[in-house]
Amino acid sequence: MNEMKDPRKTFGEALLEAAEKNPDIVALSADSSSGSGMGAFFSRFPERHFEFGIMEQGVIGFASGLATTGKIPVFAAIAPFVTARPFEMFRNDLGYMDQNVKVVGRCAGLTYNQLGSTHHSIDDVAIIRTIPGVTVINPGDPVTIKKAVHAMIEHIGPCYLKIGSPKMPVLYPEDIEFKLGKGIVMQEGSDVTLIGTGTVLSKAVDAAKLLKKAGISVRLIDIHTIKPLDRDLILTAARETGKIVTVEEHFVAGGLGSAVAELCSQEHPVKMKMIGLPDQYASNGPYEELLGKYGLQSDQICETIIKFLNT
Amino acid sequence: MMDNNELLKLESTALNIRRNILRLIRAGQAGHVGGALSSVEILTALYFNILNVDPKNPKWPLRDRFVLSAGHKCLVLYSALAEKGFFDKSVLDTYGDLDSIIPGHPNMHKLPGVETNTGALGHGLSIAGGMALGLRMDKSPAKVFVLMGDGELAEGSNWEAASAASMHKLDNLLVFVDRNKLQISGPTVDVMSYEPLDERWRSFGWSVRTIDGHNIAAIINNVKDMPFEKGKPSLIIADTIKSKGLSFAEEKVNYHYWKATPEELELAENDLDLIEKELKEKIERSAGK
Repeated sequence: MNEMKDPRKTFGEALLEAAEKNPDIVALSADSSSGSGMGAFFSRFPERHFEFGIMEQGVIGFASGLATTGKIPVFAAIAPFVTARPFEMFRNDLGYMDQNVKVVGRCAGLTYNQLGSTHHSIDDVAIIRTIPGVTVINPGDPVTIKKAVHAMIEHIGPCYLKIGSPKMPVLYPEDIEFKLGKGIVMQEGSDVTLIGTGTVLSKAVDAAKLLKKAGISVRLIDIHTIKPLDRDLILTAARETGKIVTVEEHFVAGGLGSAVAELCSQEHPVKMKMIGLPDQYASNGPYEELLGKYGLQSDQICETIIKFLNT
Repeated sequence: MMDNNELLKLESTALNIRRNILRLIRAGQAGHVGGALSSVEILTALYFNILNVDPKNPKWPLRDRFVLSAGHKCLVLYSALAEKGFFDKSVLDTYGDLDSIIPGHPNMHKLPGVETNTGALGHGLSIAGGMALGLRMDKSPAKVFVLMGDGELAEGSNWEAASAASMHKLDNLLVFVDRNKLQISGPTVDVMSYEPLDERWRSFGWSVRTIDGHNIAAIINNVKDMPFEKGKPSLIIADTIKSKGLSFAEEKVNYHYWKATPEELELAENDLDLIEKELKEKIERSAGK
């Protein structure tokens, strides 16, 4: 049984670590700091923490302006409110102005399970990855969340990092190599490539185990950076396995699956199956049951892949 | 009080900036001229008296910042920057060309001296607030100035920024509202409720003054008092005339965006010649004193 860790707490600890070393880091809150794991940052560096109240559009602008003076603003809040709501500010003030701001969307995907569609963020990757120059990061375990925080601070340019809310299993050893834009091959295989990302990476990992038992050789890849996409790794997998399945807690439209399809359809077309959310407002309820409703549990992923391989 | 010779020099600069605006329109054949012409005196005062900027070193960290929140007024910004020497005036002749470094809304990556990529309304004040906050953290002497349109104030994001600037006591921030009283659909007050503008801003925690936005001395003298109140951001409501300087276009809503005909361009030249003549007489009278 893997150790379980809180993604928000992990984010907050990593941010604090980075801030101890880098005095340019400032934290911005839209009444969202403590809920985003930044409580410890606030206690340690009150003069580098700015509260704005519930005004996410304005905070993105303030972050942009702060970045013009050499600060590295980190703005963390509930995912839809830092992406869909202030989209134009994200696009113009961060993307178009190319400012070194780090936006963190927490409780992303369906992890605000009970709160309904206003609080789900299953379109954030789709909309943010249309913005030229923005790095989109969706780590799938606590170890890579921590590494992603350090990597995005070291990277110069606007970033969007999404994390969930419930505790998630540790999938990697502490010394795993993590580079923005470079996927991680978690398991070699030759029959099919399974690509997972973010909150449901662990479901893909378990599905791969079930498939192995069924005698299927699965290449399992973690694409923690959806933009820029690791073209070489994905095209190699397409060439060598001939089939690709993607798994994400996001609309099928515009997410990881779309990004992979945009690449493969032009460079090396292969049969694909995209597992994700359909074109409808997601329902509400207990998180694991909600994932099950949309076919995102590991046994369901396994079944879908077996069916896909047999057609 | 301002020295009279200095003032007359600034009025000549304002005329040059109007001529530059006309040059842009001649190149691009159209543009947002109304709000550009209404804010000529504000930009003249800023770039030729107030702002601590260096055209040879546009990214100098200690520079004052100017944020054109109403990005469609870019013709006046380009004209002022060219006049100040940030780039050669021949660039003005490329307005409307493919890949021109002076697009229909300003781009900081293309043109030296531009601080922000504005155009979509309701963005500039938040960005300027962030600049002011960052400069204050660094204990920089630099100040941040913003020009907003009155029609722009309907964007709700402005009022988020207005609250935050006051909450964070950004008294190194000064905003001009160019109250030319017209927007594309008609008089601003008929399009959306904006008034009383001064009381609205005061209630958001700003220190507010209202002046004649074409009076360069008044602009400069008021800015010198910044911050108007310690611990508060400052706001100047500049009452202006849309399309100021073009007699046939002044206070006419259809010159918000002007598709210039050759006949109108000639009229505009004549109007600016007339302003030049009057200014020369003023200068001669002043010298004769």
